[in-house]
Amino acid sequence: MIRDARSRLHGRRDGRIRVSPAFLVLAAVLGIATMAGQDPGMKQAGDQPAPPKLLHPALVLKDAAGKNVLDTGNPISTRQTCGGDCHDYDFITNSFHFQQGKNEMDPALLKAHGIAPFNSSPGMFGKFSIIPNRQLTHAGITEAADADMSQPEWLTKCGVCHTGGGISEYDLYGRKFLSPDAKAKGPMDPSYTIRDRESGKVVPWDWEKSGTAEGDCFLCHVPKASRGARREEMSAGNFRWANNATLSQTGIVTKDAKGAFLYDRAAFNADGTVKQDVLNLSDPTLENCAKCHGFTARDATTIQPIQHADIMRGTEKAGWIYNGAKISDTVSPHIVGKDKMNFPWDVHAAKGLICIDCHFSPNNPGRKIQEDSQKYLKYKPVSEDIAIYLKRPDHNFARGNIPPETVNMTRHNTMRGCADCHDAERTHAFLPYKSLHFKALACQTCHIPAIHFWAYRSDEWGFLMDTGTSRITFRGIDGDIVDPDSKVTGFQPAYVPTPAKDGHLEIRPTNLITGVYWFDKAKGRPVFTWQIQKAFFESWDKSNGWTYRPEIVKEFGDKDGIIDRAQALYTTPEKIALVKGLLQKYAGISEPELRIEIVPWAMSHSIVGKEQATKDCTACHAKNSILHRPLDLDDALPKDVPVIYGGKPINVVNYEGKNPTFNNRPLLSSFYIIGNSRATWIEWLGWLSVVGALLFALIHGAIRLFGGRS
Amino acid sequence: MSASKPLYALHERIWHWLQAAAMIMLILSGFAIHYPDRFGILGSMAHAVSWHSWIGFALILNAFLGLFYHLTADKYHHFLPKMDDFTGGAVRQARFYLYGIFKGEPHPYETDPRHKLNPLQKVTYLALLNILLPYQIITGVLMWGANRWPATFERVGGLRVLGPAHTLGAYLFLAFLIGHIYLATTGTTPWSLLRAMITGYEAGRGEGHEPAQAARP
Repeated sequence: MIRDARSRLHGRRDGRIRVSPAFLVLAAVLGIATMAGQDPGMKQAGDQPAPPKLLHPALVLKDAAGKNVLDTGNPISTRQTCGGDCHDYDFITNSFHFQQGKNEMDPALLKAHGIAPFNSSPGMFGKFSIIPNRQLTHAGITEAADADMSQPEWLTKCGVCHTGGGISEYDLYGRKFLSPDAKAKGPMDPSYTIRDRESGKVVPWDWEKSGTAEGDCFLCHVPKASRGARREEMSAGNFRWANNATLSQTGIVTKDAKGAFLYDRAAFNADGTVKQDVLNLSDPTLENCAKCHGFTARDATTIQPIQHADIMRGTEKAGWIYNGAKISDTVSPHIVGKDKMNFPWDVHAAKGLICIDCHFSPNNPGRKIQEDSQKYLKYKPVSEDIAIYLKRPDHNFARGNIPPETVNMTRHNTMRGCADCHDAERTHAFLPYKSLHFKALACQTCHIPAIHFWAYRSDEWGFLMDTGTSRITFRGIDGDIVDPDSKVTGFQPAYVPTPAKDGHLEIRPTNLITGVYWFDKAKGRPVFTWQIQKAFFESWDKSNGWTYRPEIVKEFGDKDGIIDRAQALYTTPEKIALVKGLLQKYAGISEPELRIEIVPWAMSHSIVGKEQATKDCTACHAKNSILHRPLDLDDALPKDVPVIYGGKPINVVNYEGKNPTFNNRPLLSSFYIIGNSRATWIEWLGWLSVVGALLFALIHGAIRLFGGRS
Repeated sequence: MSASKPLYALHERIWHWLQAAAMIMLILSGFAIHYPDRFGILGSMAHAVSWHSWIGFALILNAFLGLFYHLTADKYHHFLPKMDDFTGGAVRQARFYLYGIFKGEPHPYETDPRHKLNPLQKVTYLALLNILLPYQIITGVLMWGANRWPATFERVGGLRVLGPAHTLGAYLFLAFLIGHIYLATTGTTPWSLLRAMITGYEAGRGEGHEPAQAARP
């Protein structure tokens, strides 16, 4: 088998794959171990985390020249250490975790996906989002006014999670940074500049000084990876050492008083390799994924989805907690009503499933979904070779479909769906019209009846607080999210139509995040944050921070001269007109327009089992259906401004009542929900005929009665 | 007062009351489905849906038995209007209901075992049994079959079309039922027609109620 695999590998036309015999032995060992350890049923709730598999051989940490870092003291090069003769580094880093849209910068692709043309990619690297209100600057600009977030700035802000590789090694034209041909194309080239915060000017970025950040394999494959230490280096523009920083908690590296990284020989074997039990290279653990994606744990009773000033994005956006512990056992934070919640935060986590059980590498032979286009095979005995997988593990991990995320869309819905594991037909005996329900509703709709945590409610960059940043509000919490004494009340999702795997619309639980932001109609793009800062503030300095313009304080503030969160709202046309004028006057925006955007973040975690799932028909099939639950969007929202939902102009804001709420009717117009939906003219015609018949009988009968005729 | 006369055979009466019961139960269970939070007389909505489906099929079976009987026993002519029934006959009957009945005029059409329906009833039943009932059966069966024949279900527009369509039919049936029950009180006495449908015999009309002409087949 090994010889066969080897000959196949060597037989490739491009000749790029060369596998050594030692590697193949390793491949065989790892393959057997991987397949032996993949039965999720073997993992029991409450078990102690399995000890890391020490299957990966001891390795030499190499620098960019391929030399042992113990000898040179240079930064670790994952290209050399993990790549080299073993894994195909370029293949691995050409996946969406590393590229985040960089390899999808195609206007035709954006158009095909319905993404606005002011974006430069469908991924985080190039796509505008209301949450940071930042845009990657387009290549080829010539004026500073068109510059927002350059590539180096993107890396300092987002590079902690988006782990190097393509984004931080290659410029927007595909040239490798620090290579002889990698030179700026003009003074505004976004790959080689950054906007200086103090002067506001676009200045050159020194790539020689920062170095590049290669793909950080350690962040996901080393259980003790330190995201915080990595963040410090990336934020400081010290890209070259970011991967070393990730290993800060392993004992392999330490940082001296001057901030230089040193290698600790105690962590290394005599032959210069790293001790296996120190590095513990393994499959990504729950904790590895949690570092970026949201709170994930096997049995945690303290939930703190915030690390190093960052909120884990999955929790932040949709409030999900992937944790096997019972909610009632939560020690911190204070979950209101937890005594009655004698069930786990997520039923899959309680069963011991970890992230990669579902979000696996698509060419992992042990997990690969083998599509049979003819649909006549129940089992396809031919699989990928384990050696090929280990050489080129596909890092476009199997995934579902979480609107509004659009990166790598052609690989959406590649994971096993609920029905691939669960036989829903057999377990929903109580449910009439199963196929109709299963088509109209995502499984999550009934199995995420509520979120018992907090999540973003709004992020409004249309008004800047005195921190120079947005006005942010959360739902599901009474108090501050970092205060452990705050009462976490949780919230109930909005249930909105969302495209399913085959494109049809299904109703799915969603958190709605409202953004209020300024749009530059003349340029056809959102107004940049630095432009809004120019309109709102007259100065900034290190000691005093931002100082509002007097006009802003007069219009929005009160006598104390402070604008608090309750005042930072566009409640009158005059307030909108004032800021519009300031944007024109100080930021040079000729046609600023205030917009509201409601962004739906679909939910897939915090799944409950059958006992807690929604089973009452009238939850949906009634006048007060949860489908029309008036989820509050914000404390107040400006009126008579364009409303965008899901990237399209759809007004889903209901201004009646104390707070503006979500109006689901325009989205549900393609659904007929018995017991809830009403065809107005049918109801009128129907009741008219019934009332007409009754009136006829009553009047006719009365005349007969009182006229003395039978 | 003339002697009582046989009008409805036992099987006809059973058929009628079964249909009536089925229709009333369908309307009630239909309301429980259409207004599940305000009209939960059958417990859960799932129960109401189950009852509605079973009763619907009972009504369809009974309707086919009735059709079979009327065709094979040569009784279908009761329901077949002549051309004059659409115009003159229906107008005469309508005039009676809207005017003559208040003046004590005699019923324009006498009923007897061979002429059970007046022209207005014939026209109404023609529409009811040939248009509204099949329409309601088809829309109902298509909805019931959404799981079984999803392609057909979707082809006709799915619930977005069938839901409102079936609802409209239900309202029209309810309106018919109200009118039907009320007009059943317009016999010789308020209870004579109801009694006839229970006992099979309708009390003969007395003086001043002599029919102008016999109900025609």
